[in-house]
Amino acid sequence: MARTAEELALEKAAQREQASKNPQDRGGPLHVPDFEEIERSESFKDLMKKKKQFLIPTTILFLGLYLLFNVVISYTNWLDAPFVGDIPWVWVFAFGLFAMTWILVTVYMKRAAKFDQMAEETLKEFGYEDKEDIR
Amino acid sequence: MNATVIIIFLFIVLMTLVITYYAAKRTNSASDFYTAGGGLTGWQNGMAIAGDYLSAASFLGIAGSIALFGFDGFLFSIGYLVAYLVVLFVVAEPLRNLGKYTLADMINARFNAKKVRGAAALSSITIVIFYMIAQLVGAGALIQLLFGIEYIWAVLLVGIMMTIYVLFGGMTATSWVQIIKAVLLMVGTVILSFLVLKNFNFNIFEMFTQMKTATPHGEAYLQPGVRYEIPLDTISLMLALVLGTAGLPHILMRFFTVRDAKTARSSVMWATWIVGIFYVMTIFLGFGAAAFVGADLITSTNPAGNMAAPLLAQALGGDILMSFISAVAFATILAVVAGLVLSGASAFAHDIYGQIIKKGKATERQQMLAARYASVGVAVFSIILAIFAQSLNVAFLVSLAFCIAASANLPVIVYTIFWKKFNTTGAISAILTGLISALVLVSVSPSVISPEAGAAIFTGNPLFPLTNPAIVSIPLGFIGGFVGTLLSKEVNAKQFAEVKVRANTGGFKQL
Repeated sequence: MARTAEELALEKAAQREQASKNPQDRGGPLHVPDFEEIERSESFKDLMKKKKQFLIPTTILFLGLYLLFNVVISYTNWLDAPFVGDIPWVWVFAFGLFAMTWILVTVYMKRAAKFDQMAEETLKEFGYEDKEDIR
Repeated sequence: MNATVIIIFLFIVLMTLVITYYAAKRTNSASDFYTAGGGLTGWQNGMAIAGDYLSAASFLGIAGSIALFGFDGFLFSIGYLVAYLVVLFVVAEPLRNLGKYTLADMINARFNAKKVRGAAALSSITIVIFYMIAQLVGAGALIQLLFGIEYIWAVLLVGIMMTIYVLFGGMTATSWVQIIKAVLLMVGTVILSFLVLKNFNFNIFEMFTQMKTATPHGEAYLQPGVRYEIPLDTISLMLALVLGTAGLPHILMRFFTVRDAKTARSSVMWATWIVGIFYVMTIFLGFGAAAFVGADLITSTNPAGNMAAPLLAQALGGDILMSFISAVAFATILAVVAGLVLSGASAFAHDIYGQIIKKGKATERQQMLAARYASVGVAVFSIILAIFAQSLNVAFLVSLAFCIAASANLPVIVYTIFWKKFNTTGAISAILTGLISALVLVSVSPSVISPEAGAAIFTGNPLFPLTNPAIVSIPLGFIGGFVGTLLSKEVNAKQFAEVKVRANTGGFKQL
C-alpha cells in the first residue's frame, strides 16, 4: 500500500532524529536542518529569483528559436535562398543554433559562479559552512 | 582485412584491457563500480559524456547521411547539440545534488516510495534495452563491413568486450574507454576534415559551390527536404532529440561520477564544445565523401551510407587511414555499449534489488555482487536480442529511445524539481503515461506497420501517422503527471522544500 505523505514525513523525521542522536555515526551536524526555514529565508529566495530570471527567459529563447527553425525549414522554402555565394541561409541559421548553444553555455558558466557564491552564503547563514562535512 | 587493420585493432583492444586491469584494482565498492568513486574532473567527465553520446550512428551514420542527403543528413546534429542546453539548465546540477547512482535516486529524494522507484527503473531499463539493441545490431553490421567478420561473431565480440570492461572495471574502466574513444574520434575526424578541406583549397565558399553540382540532387542537396518530406514527422523527431537527451539513463549516470554540481556543470560545458565541434566536422566528412567517393560507391557498399567515412579515408589517405578510421569506429561502438550496460545494471541492481527488494539494507558485498550479476544479465540479454534482430531495421529504435526518454523521464524530472504540489501519484502517472503512450503509438506507427510489404515488421495501414510519436507522447507525459497529482490529496511541501534547497545549494548531500 502506498503510504501517505504524513506517514512518510513522520518516518523521515524519526530517521533524522535517530541520526542526530548519533552524529558520529554519520559524521553529520548535530541538529537536523529545517529546510522550510531555509526556503523562506531572504537569501535563498533571492538566489531562486536570480536563477529564475536567467533560466526561464533563456530556456524559452533557445527552445523557441530551435522550434521556429524546424517549423520554418519543414513548412517553407524561406531559407533555401543563398546567403553568400552558394551557401544557403539554412546553413547560416543552423550554425547560428550551434553558436547560440556555445554562447548560452558560456554565459551560464559565468552566471552559475555567482549562483554558487549566493548558495554558499545561504548555507553559511544557517551554519552549514563546509558542504563536505554535512553528510 | 589487411595487416594494418589487425594491428591497430589489436592495439585498441589491448589498450582498453590494460585500462580495465588497472580500473579493476580500484573498483572495490558499489560507489566505485557505479560512479568511479565520484572523482572525475570536469574535462574528464566532459570527454566521457562525448564518448558516451557520439555513437557509431553519429560518426558513420551522420557522415553517410550528409553524403547522401546533404542538409537533411545534418539536421539531427542540431537537435543532438541544442539538447545539451536542456541538460545544463534543467537536469545536470539537481541530479548531482540529489542523486546517488540513478535517476530514480533523484526522484526518490523527494518521494521515497518504492512504486516511483520501480516506475523510474522500468523506464530506464526500457530505454537502455532499445538503445542497446540498436547499437549492437548496428555494430554487428558495421564490423561485418569493416573487418569482414560474420554478423554473429561481430555481435559476440563487441558483447564480450563490453562485458569485460563493465564487469571488472566498472565505471572507471568505462569512463576511460569513453575518454580514449573521444580523443581517437576527434583525431580521426580532424585528420579527415583537414584532408577534405585541403581538396577544397581551404575555401568554404568553393566547397559549397562544388557541392551544388557534385551530387545527383543538384542544388537541392544544400537545402532541406531531400530526405524528410512530412513536416510534422520531422518536427516530432526533432522535439524528441532536443528533449530526450536530458532523460537518457547512460548520459544522466555520468553526472554521478563527479564530486559536485560545479563539476557537473563544467563537464557539460566540455561535452558541448567537443560534441558541437565534432558535428561541424561531420559536414566536411559528408561533403568530402559525396564529392570524392560519390553516392554510387557509397550506396553500393552499404545502402544506408554507413561506409561513407571509411571510404573517404580510403580515397584521401589510403589503406592506413582507412584502417585507423575503422578502428576508431570500433572503439566508438565499444564505449557507447559499455556505458549502456552500466546504466541498465544500475537500474536492476541498485534500484530494483538494492532499494526495492533489499530496502536499501544490502551490504557492500551484496551490492557489488548484484551490480556484477546485473551487468552480465543485461549484456547477455541484449546480445541474444541483437542476434535475433539482425534483419530488423533498427534505425527507428534510437529515435524511439530518445522519445521515451523525453516522454517518460523529462516530465517527472521537471515536476520533481519545480512543482510544489507534485506528489507520488503524479510521479508514477507521469512516468507510466509517457512510457506507455510512446510505446503504444510507436507500435501502431509506420515504423512497425507499413503498407509496403517487408518495409516494417507488419504489413498494413498504420493507425498513427508519424514515425516518431514525441509530439504527442511528450505532452501526454506532462499531462499524465499533472492529472495524477490532482487526483491524489497527498501533499509533500516539506519534502519539496528539502529538494529545492538541496538541488539549488548543493548542501546536505546524503541526508
